[in-house]
Amino acid sequence: MSQTIVIDPVTRIEGHSRITIQLDDRGEVVDAHFHVTQFRGFERITQGRPVHEMPALMARICGICPVSHLIASAKAVDDIMAVEPTPTGADLRRIINLGQIVQSNALSFFHLSSPDLLFGFDGDPAVRNIIGVARKHPELARDGIGLRRWGQQIIEWLGGKRIHPEGIVPGGVAFQLTAEVRDRILAGVPEAIAAVERAIAWYKTDMLRWEEEAATFGNFRSAFMGLVDRHGNVDHYGGWLRVVDADGHHLADKVDPKTFNDYIGEAVEPWSYLKSTYWKPMGYPDGLYRVGPLARLNVAERTGTPRADEELEKFRWRVGRIASSSFHYHYARLIDTLHAIEKIDLLLRGPEILSHHVRSVAGINRHEGIGVSEAPRGTLMHHYKVDDNGLVEWVNLVIATGHNNMAMNRAVLQVARKHVKADRLEEGMLNRVEAVIRCYDPCLSCSTHALGQMALRVQLLAPDGTVLSELAR
Amino acid sequence: MTMAAMGGVLVVGYGNELRSDDGIGPAVVAHLAHDRRFRDVDVRAAHQLTPELALDASGAALLVLVDAATDAPAGEVAVRRLDPGEAAGDVLTHHVDPAGLVGLARELWGAAPPVVIVSVGVASLDVGDRLSPAVEAAIPRAADAVALAIEEHRRA
Repeated sequence: MSQTIVIDPVTRIEGHSRITIQLDDRGEVVDAHFHVTQFRGFERITQGRPVHEMPALMARICGICPVSHLIASAKAVDDIMAVEPTPTGADLRRIINLGQIVQSNALSFFHLSSPDLLFGFDGDPAVRNIIGVARKHPELARDGIGLRRWGQQIIEWLGGKRIHPEGIVPGGVAFQLTAEVRDRILAGVPEAIAAVERAIAWYKTDMLRWEEEAATFGNFRSAFMGLVDRHGNVDHYGGWLRVVDADGHHLADKVDPKTFNDYIGEAVEPWSYLKSTYWKPMGYPDGLYRVGPLARLNVAERTGTPRADEELEKFRWRVGRIASSSFHYHYARLIDTLHAIEKIDLLLRGPEILSHHVRSVAGINRHEGIGVSEAPRGTLMHHYKVDDNGLVEWVNLVIATGHNNMAMNRAVLQVARKHVKADRLEEGMLNRVEAVIRCYDPCLSCSTHALGQMALRVQLLAPDGTVLSELAR
Repeated sequence: MTMAAMGGVLVVGYGNELRSDDGIGPAVVAHLAHDRRFRDVDVRAAHQLTPELALDASGAALLVLVDAATDAPAGEVAVRRLDPGEAAGDVLTHHVDPAGLVGLARELWGAAPPVVIVSVGVASLDVGDRLSPAVEAAIPRAADAVALAIEEHRRA
């Protein structure tokens, strides 16, 4: 008789979800789904609000990556106001965004994923957590805590608050940077670099243990998308969208992010609140692509900073020019973090960084605006429409986790087929299925807002799994 | 370096200010910020206890935590010392409990301060940004309890 295995909730991710694995009569995995079971609804909640409130409201979407939403939202309002932030304002936004990248990547790698890497997927669940890491590898735990703290301090010092900061506003930023704060951040750079380089060194040694896992951990051919600068290097704040295929060929390059609707479609499945985005030219579901740290490294020529580029070269030597296994998100996340630290250092040493010209001022000059940036988990898009008075009429949020939705489902199915055997279910099997989701570091609080498109299905099942009744809306 | 990291007293009031009385911890530390008795104390508000606090906790001579209690009458202020041998509870993704916090400090930096927990009984944890009257009225008593804990620590 066929049966379903349910992993509920999926742990050590941002938000609430479950995984179902469908087995056939022989106990073989035939299908698997990653269900996002929480709902937030910001796209509807914000209708009717003055558009200048949007950045502060959007920051409330998430306690982990509020800065990402602030940046994309402020850029969308810049677009509506037809205004360019001042150069200093733009650079300060970049620094806060990079602080966000550092602290969120540190949370993902050190706090959430390193327990699996340190203790193994078959390890005792009681110790697979940050306290277990502290006991077995204290330096790794200290480095993770230190990196996260440094990133959070940058957000707090530049944005006003550690969580839900308000320093990023339409037209630029609210606060001028002082020399004292600049120097305080710069003083932390050497230790931050040392910490992430220690983690990279450890990971490169440790990853040899995981070669077999990497081969089947969401390892499939797909496209990748991310922002790049005019040199084709990683850009977390602006630039152009680039999409490459599984062989590295450009499917699209120098795409103005404001035209993303021409290229990206959104689909809704009946078993999840999370929308699935797809590359329109290839249709749904063939237009699967991935975003986030792995995608950023795959689409870019280089990172553009020396230490990270050195590590990127080694990364490509180990895993190829286009890394296809989702397992390599971990490695990519560390290099992404190293690049972010170096970039913060560079920006803080800019000649105009202490300028008091941090904000441009304008009114409502357009009825529509789009803002795009790179969040820790991938490319983030905010799209607003307003009336003549600047009141919000329509909002669409395209979130990194939505871009990765199809890829996460494919990865779950691949891992389940490899590891789940119905005749002998073990903790390690199911942990691997969870862990492949953690590679993408999904943020479900960020990504579930499409009221009106939401999919809800209630099924009444007989003991043998037969569907007796079903209601859908 | 913070005052707490230099061997001072660290007071952390934590809770969700958008969940009515769960915001009592941040409300108490906001009160302390204007109280001269606490001018040489490192006072902070937090949404929850995070692993990052372990670094500052490891350098502190005393850690006072102010939190909401769901198992006490509304407005009742209670004080207890954390048993150094108390095991950490569930270790979740972004936060730790008091025992987990000092456990991390001890494991990673080789030092953990004594911990005093000042808790205030709550009436409501519904969505809302205001404290219920009984809980709001407890703020000065909770502040006095924090002050007493610090005074006793310094006398000892």
